[in-house]
Amino acid sequence: MKFEARGLVKIFPAPVFSGGRPLRALDCLTLEAGPGVTGLEGPNGSGKTTLFRTLAGIIEADGGQILAGGGAAGPEQLRSLTAYCPANPRSFYFRMSAAENLRFFGALAGLPPRQAASAARALADRLGLAAADLDRRFDRLSEGNMQKVSLIRALSRSPRLLLLDEPFRGLDAAGCAGLTELIKENGRDRAVVISSHSPELLRAAAGRIVRMEAGRTV
Amino acid sequence: MNATRIMLAFIRRDFLTERSYRLSFALGALATLANLAVFYFIGKLFGSALAPGLEPYGTDYFAYVFTALAFFGYIGTGAGSYAGRLRLEQTQGTLEAALSTPVGVLPLLAAMSAWSFLFATFELVVYAAAGLFIFELKLPAANWPLAALVFALSAACFAALGILSSCFVVLFKRGNPLAWLLNNFEGLLGGVYFPAAVLPWWLACVSNLLPVTYAVRAFQLALHKGAGFQAVKGDLAILAAFDLVLIPASVWLFGLAVRRARKTGTLGEY
Repeated sequence: MKFEARGLVKIFPAPVFSGGRPLRALDCLTLEAGPGVTGLEGPNGSGKTTLFRTLAGIIEADGGQILAGGGAAGPEQLRSLTAYCPANPRSFYFRMSAAENLRFFGALAGLPPRQAASAARALADRLGLAAADLDRRFDRLSEGNMQKVSLIRALSRSPRLLLLDEPFRGLDAAGCAGLTELIKENGRDRAVVISSHSPELLRAAAGRIVRMEAGRTV
Repeated sequence: MNATRIMLAFIRRDFLTERSYRLSFALGALATLANLAVFYFIGKLFGSALAPGLEPYGTDYFAYVFTALAFFGYIGTGAGSYAGRLRLEQTQGTLEAALSTPVGVLPLLAAMSAWSFLFATFELVVYAAAGLFIFELKLPAANWPLAALVFALSAACFAALGILSSCFVVLFKRGNPLAWLLNNFEGLLGGVYFPAAVLPWWLACVSNLLPVTYAVRAFQLALHKGAGFQAVKGDLAILAAFDLVLIPASVWLFGLAVRRARKTGTLGEY
């Protein structure tokens, strides 16, 4: 399925009485992502994360539209078509094990517990996350292993559009190699968009690179 | 999307999290019993001196406050749990992750507070067991079917108030005027610790605006006096009216609040 962003605009209003000015995070952005891996690069604050969150249906655009398979897709439809791995891997329940977290978020995405568990095991193996770490409480994992669990949460949903924001952050060499392979495999039959500040890793994983600056693709 | 599976997932998650705080769990149960003991001894101290105000209910102070607290404790769960859970999810950073899945607003609301209601049911059983076996409370005249009807209408009404309250959490994060009102005035003005009839006229006017006043009065009359449908039909009608307005309005407003937060990009903020 091909995804297209046409003239996307996202403006974050300034907090009331703050005296600040609204932030134009996406400025008529246009992007196409068909089956294959698209790499996003650009300086901090160029709008990459806002683009991911808009494509994932987490936030709503103020202008422009997103097309999925040629038809307009609203935020609700996007949430069922996409899976998003945020740059910050801490959006989990710290007092539960990694496996229990994956089971919970899997259920919210419609995955039966067994399917979620088997996907977690298989993906953990590919990313170099030990089985014992899956059973470890989330707050006792290293930052890199938290990132691996966050990646497993997104990858196990087998979405039409996979959105990975800074997926290599904190990963060891084995994790980076495993993830690069997984990204390429996923890109064979679905759209994958990834971002990274490492040009080498981005080019190793993505067949096409798009640069973003000031909320636009350039 | 399977709503039952989502509900079970939330219950499992909350159980595992609660279980990881063992001491808090045990202390919570002890606090409930200590609370009851306070009112037991107040009742013993004043005995029949407080009885005139309780005449319409045909019971003594301890029995009145015991059943009112048990009732209010349960229905109050609805009022407090939605906003409390949402706030917790915000500060943990998990709200945005949960709302980035295809789960709809209604299943999310039902699932989010399912554990709180289960735990409140457990507390209610503890209350009932303590009442029966420790404090030897007797309710010989109770009209149980009517009490159950009042219970259901009240629980739905308070759940709707809780959902309304959670709209403030979604939009403003901290600073929730409805929760402030519910926490500070429902018990005081609603007849939980004493019958609302003893309030001065100007406070009674405020009390009459609160659904808890009708809920507690109808429940207490059904339980202690064995009142029939005719005796509490006015209270039931008002509770039903609150339900009819508040339930759809709260769900609709919560959907709007989430939509607004998605629009302003503040869903994950705290």
